Amino acid sequence: MSQDSPKRWIAVVGNPNAGKSTLFNALTGLRQRVGNYPGVTVEKHTGTAFTLHGEAVELIDLPGMYSMAARSPDEEIAVKVLRGESVGLPKPDAVLCVVDASNLERNLFLVTQVMELGLPVLVALNMVDVAEARGIRLHPDQLSEKLGVAFIPTQAHRGKGLVELRAALGQGLLKPGPRQWTMPPPLAVAVGQIASAWRQSEPSELRAEGKALELLAGSDVGPDGARKLATAWRERFRKEAYDWSASVVHARYEYVRKMLGEAGVGSGKLGGTWTDWIDAVVLHPVAGWAVLVGMMLTLFVSIFSIAAYPMGWIDGAFTWLGGAIQNALPAGMLRDLLIDGILAGVGGVVIFLPQILILFFFLGLLEDSGYLARAAFLLDRVMHRVGLSGKSFIPLLSSYACAIPGIMATRTVEDPKDRLTTILVAPLMSCSARIPVYTTLLAAAVPVALFPVWGKAAAMLGLYVLGTGTAFVLAWLFRKKLLGGGSPPLILELPPYRMPSFQTVSLRMWERAIIFLRRAGTVILALSIVLWFLSSFPNTSDDPTEKLAGSFAGQMGHGLEPILRPLGFDWRIGIGLVASLAAREVFVSTMSIVYHVGGEEEGLVTAMRSAAWPDGALIYTPLTCLALLVFYVYALQCLSTVAVAKRETGGWKWPIFMLLYMTGLAYLAAWLVQGVGRALGFS
Amino acid sequence: METSQNHLGAASLDLTQVSSGDEVRVRHLACSPTTCQRLREMGFCENALVTKIRGGADLVCWVCGTRVALSARLAKQILVEHVDGKS
Repeated sequence: MSQDSPKRWIAVVGNPNAGKSTLFNALTGLRQRVGNYPGVTVEKHTGTAFTLHGEAVELIDLPGMYSMAARSPDEEIAVKVLRGESVGLPKPDAVLCVVDASNLERNLFLVTQVMELGLPVLVALNMVDVAEARGIRLHPDQLSEKLGVAFIPTQAHRGKGLVELRAALGQGLLKPGPRQWTMPPPLAVAVGQIASAWRQSEPSELRAEGKALELLAGSDVGPDGARKLATAWRERFRKEAYDWSASVVHARYEYVRKMLGEAGVGSGKLGGTWTDWIDAVVLHPVAGWAVLVGMMLTLFVSIFSIAAYPMGWIDGAFTWLGGAIQNALPAGMLRDLLIDGILAGVGGVVIFLPQILILFFFLGLLEDSGYLARAAFLLDRVMHRVGLSGKSFIPLLSSYACAIPGIMATRTVEDPKDRLTTILVAPLMSCSARIPVYTTLLAAAVPVALFPVWGKAAAMLGLYVLGTGTAFVLAWLFRKKLLGGGSPPLILELPPYRMPSFQTVSLRMWERAIIFLRRAGTVILALSIVLWFLSSFPNTSDDPTEKLAGSFAGQMGHGLEPILRPLGFDWRIGIGLVASLAAREVFVSTMSIVYHVGGEEEGLVTAMRSAAWPDGALIYTPLTCLALLVFYVYALQCLSTVAVAKRETGGWKWPIFMLLYMTGLAYLAAWLVQGVGRALGFS
Repeated sequence: METSQNHLGAASLDLTQVSSGDEVRVRHLACSPTTCQRLREMGFCENALVTKIRGGADLVCWVCGTRVALSARLAKQILVEHVDGKS
């Protein structure tokens, strides 16, 4: 191919969890997220790969799909790209089908459909090591000969077979020949007639037949004559009670089974594998729950125990930096800005990075091992009671890291009402941005001596359970009472377990660290400077407390106090609540600025513990801390979540509903905690 | 074990009535057209061989070389027969 030729676009498709993104990453050098559960990729991604002869080709990594009849938003994305209907992407010039070699029957079912697009096809026979370990004999040459497209054995996670794949991508890929599976007689007549109406614009017989099947399935893209014929045949099949779509699936599977038999591809054995042994425990109705709760407890204990060391180092570094600035600069606005604004704001949040990384380490292990799909299976009964299927649990669990990927992951949910319900409750799952708020308030609520690590872990687990439990209750309310309809049944593939990849897990932690630090260096830095200005001017007094009270921020906080007083919150907390509307963790940096404590966590906790109302009563009593914690469990303090909900629901109606119900719930719950607590004699 | 007579005229069990470890053949799918089609695409098409791995409120089956989890109410709509003819 000459240098001036336009780049070829090659779509990477396959069943969920076949290793498409791993292969895409290996070929392009990019770092798309991978994991061991169906539905990791929910968006299309592009990257440049080079053939063995140096030709640059553009690969399009697509969400996994079981068939060309899309049933969920992520599958729709893949089908649209393959048909050349995706905005902003050209129609692919070829397709790279990634198939799981240990599960060829079902994977090749999709390949027979993709071949009917009439595009050149190359098949990556991936995970050959897994197939061979299960005793499956593979004969790539015979498969190539039978199906009429090239099969290249690969082990994407080990980088094996990539040279052969690059070489094959560089060669002129053959267009698939005529359809190989036999169409049942009644359908063959219908498809023949509809396809002949396509022929004037579509010379390829294979493609014309493929388009005829699409029209029969309900597509409205095609010449008038073909569409009318398809409608007439559909009606005729309906009257004759002939399930033509079932007969197509049967015919394809029959062909694939026969072809695999002729190619000498054996089937694997069931039982006696690691996966079977582990499943016997983790899917057990009692032991399975014990494992789940045990893992969550281990996570929260680690968040407090292991993270304490690096948090101490970061704390020490910021304290040293504050001291250095104090000594280097004369007293004045610049020193105040650096110490009370930037160091307090940014340092106050950055200190929590180790805890967030530990959360991502555990989530990475769950995702990469294959356990996530088991958790969804275990939770299906609970989810069914609230009107959802276990499939919705994966997006909800992802929301523990961050609601944004969680909401994106709802694209794998097929039922639109299920998907909307999952989006609406996903932000109630405590995300990593809440960790700084929870840690600070828990420390302020109970003295360290009375609160050992396991106590903090249990309290943290309680907050997560509160958010999750409320999400389930509200999902029931929204699904059954607001949206209506029953919950869809669970159909979910459980992948074999595999040893989590150190590289994948550490890469995910690294990416999260970069995102977190970038956010600290941009949004939180900017907000800290603005907040420092608002809390420093107008300068009405030399006394820090009076100065803050008279500042712009103080005036705003005082304006809010009548609304917040019933919750036990003073005007300074009001400043924190407003400042953290954009992002929850800003609450901690705001409080650090409000209490002039630099970047030290202990300093903030000490300042909060001694903060008092004008009558001398302490503000941060255990009850008020609990009310504030409950407020943060429920409040939607994240503009990015609102933005992604708007994109995924296609309008402002549901994000506004989400904002209103979560804010209302947060206020009501905090008020109830304060009211009931006082009635019971707590302070 | 209680069996039902389906429209195919054969005595069939539903998948929840099968013991764990048994291999069965799918005879008929009695769910909504969309669900039926998704089941077929995932390998549960008529005449396919399925091994039930785990029973209970939800089931795990082995079909086409993969483990697939199904809710019990869906499994009730998958009518099967034993491969060796026992019912």
